[in-house]
Amino acid sequence: MLLGVVAAALAGAVFSALSTFDFIQFLDRQVHGLHCSFIPGAGRELGESGCRTVLMSPYSSYFRDRIWGGIPVALWALAVFSYLLARAGAPLLRGHTSRREAGFLVAATGLPLGMSVLYFALSLHVGATCKVCVGMYVASVGAFVAAVLAWRQTSPSSPEVTGSPAGWFAQGVGFVALLTALFLATTPPSDQGKTGTCGALVQPEDPSGVMVELKPGRTPAIEVLDPLCPSCKALDTRLASSGLGRELGLKGVLFPLDSSCNWMVGEALHPGACTVSEAVLCAQGLSEKKNPEAARKVLAYAFEHQEQLREQATKDLKALRATLEARFPEVRGCVGGAQVKNKLVKSLRWAVANALPVLTPQLFVREKRLCDEDTDLGLEYSLTRLLAAADAPAQTGGR
Amino acid sequence: MTPAQKSLSLALATLLIPAGLVGAWGASARTRLAESREAPEPVAVASVSNDAYCTPQLKAVVRRVASACGLVQMEGGRGCQPTDAKKVASLSGGDFNALFRPLARRAHIVQFDPDATELDEGGKKLVETAWSDQRGASFFFVVARASPEGSADHNTRLSRDRAKAVLTHLQEKFKDPELEKQVGLLWLGEDFAQLGEEFCTWNRSREACTPAELNRSAFMAWIDCAI
Repeated sequence: MLLGVVAAALAGAVFSALSTFDFIQFLDRQVHGLHCSFIPGAGRELGESGCRTVLMSPYSSYFRDRIWGGIPVALWALAVFSYLLARAGAPLLRGHTSRREAGFLVAATGLPLGMSVLYFALSLHVGATCKVCVGMYVASVGAFVAAVLAWRQTSPSSPEVTGSPAGWFAQGVGFVALLTALFLATTPPSDQGKTGTCGALVQPEDPSGVMVELKPGRTPAIEVLDPLCPSCKALDTRLASSGLGRELGLKGVLFPLDSSCNWMVGEALHPGACTVSEAVLCAQGLSEKKNPEAARKVLAYAFEHQEQLREQATKDLKALRATLEARFPEVRGCVGGAQVKNKLVKSLRWAVANALPVLTPQLFVREKRLCDEDTDLGLEYSLTRLLAAADAPAQTGGR
Repeated sequence: MTPAQKSLSLALATLLIPAGLVGAWGASARTRLAESREAPEPVAVASVSNDAYCTPQLKAVVRRVASACGLVQMEGGRGCQPTDAKKVASLSGGDFNALFRPLARRAHIVQFDPDATELDEGGKKLVETAWSDQRGASFFFVVARASPEGSADHNTRLSRDRAKAVLTHLQEKFKDPELEKQVGLLWLGEDFAQLGEEFCTWNRSREACTPAELNRSAFMAWIDCAI
């Protein structure tokens, strides 16, 4: 059965190595594909996927507020599985094991098992599953079961081996410590980022009343978003789960990447985004009296059904409008009208007035722009610093 | 090799292989980041439209009209008299109209009853449609005309009031604080740049399209030119 532990540890090491590789490649602050398959090494995906959602979630790494991206939990999994490989391989090479050594192996395999249970629960919370992670979960269960069986097969009278559980434990800690140290020493330093240097709003005011109040909070922030943009949905999820999002008093400026209303894009990157944006503005109300709660509901619905709405818009834009009007009767008679179209143009021209890059999402904290490279893995690190910078002048007498 | 040596070799192998991988991956990310800092990718910046039809000639006319009509410097009166229009355009009537031909899909022609300046329901709707189709344009031109019946002075006043009727409706309907900075009125009366038959195929508020009916009108278009 020790062979079973070795096999499971080896599988776990391969899966965790792939996951660690995926994580580390993002530390160059660029866009990459991800391994997203039960077959190690296969299925690299570039677009949005469960693997990407899990990787970008705050649970994929620790100390994110102190280190850009944090230390990936997959790195520690790699260290633990590598250690288990060595620990289970030793008695195989020796030709026998002791009851105590087998018992330690059960305890050692309990760690990845416990973490797998915890992370499976977290994946339910995040609402996405990562195939490579599932590979690690299965390997963890396999290693634990094989270790228990190996322990049961070991006779209490089998000869003792040199070494103690404390020493073996220290050996395991050494594996984790060495890989962590190496990770910190070789990956790009956190201060190589551009936090706080990616521009600022020159005209943050909203004279045309185009902004949508997304949530209340202490620090004023503005998000430029497209309701049918997957990255905007992902940022929304990350902000909600990071905890730092609670600090932000967030307003949204609609910037649909859809050529049917946005002259700045050559094609409809997100078909139907103009119509959905109109529905958001209609729900909020075009007059002085606003209903931000209704707008938030339309936006939440759009985020929830992005793929379906984009598909519907590609086939029949009128059907998309009918869907929105059926779901939100208050926007009926407003979507497609001259006044809301005019409002949406004002929203787009707000981006022009501020000379913003033509992309979504963009987040501004007290008018300072969060760099695009900081909107995923580096969100906590960069947002912590932007919030601190935003608070600093307030504490010294305001701006 | 003793069993202890074998175990040690295995432990070293299981430690050094992942350590080597992590080190190599980390160093590679560090190199790529440094390289990307040296050659940042250009990003498109949000801007107003500047379409292909914005010839230097059209831009010059737009700039002159915008300036003369009080759009660029918001002092003085709003709108351009026919004589001003001729001066600012520095073009024949035919050449003036030709400048706007590329706007066939953007322009709208709202038609009026004889000797009248009130917008009918169809006209109001067309004015709203035209205004809501701003996109990246910065200037909304209203070029009002009159048919040749009656005196030239009367037709000048008539075309001025038609242009103003469009502006008034926009102000009432949209209550847009930026509207004043974006709408340029030009009234041509009967003596400059009358619309020809080719404009019958353009987007109009009425079916009828005799030369007289076509020129009892206000031509409206957002101009997608960065001036």
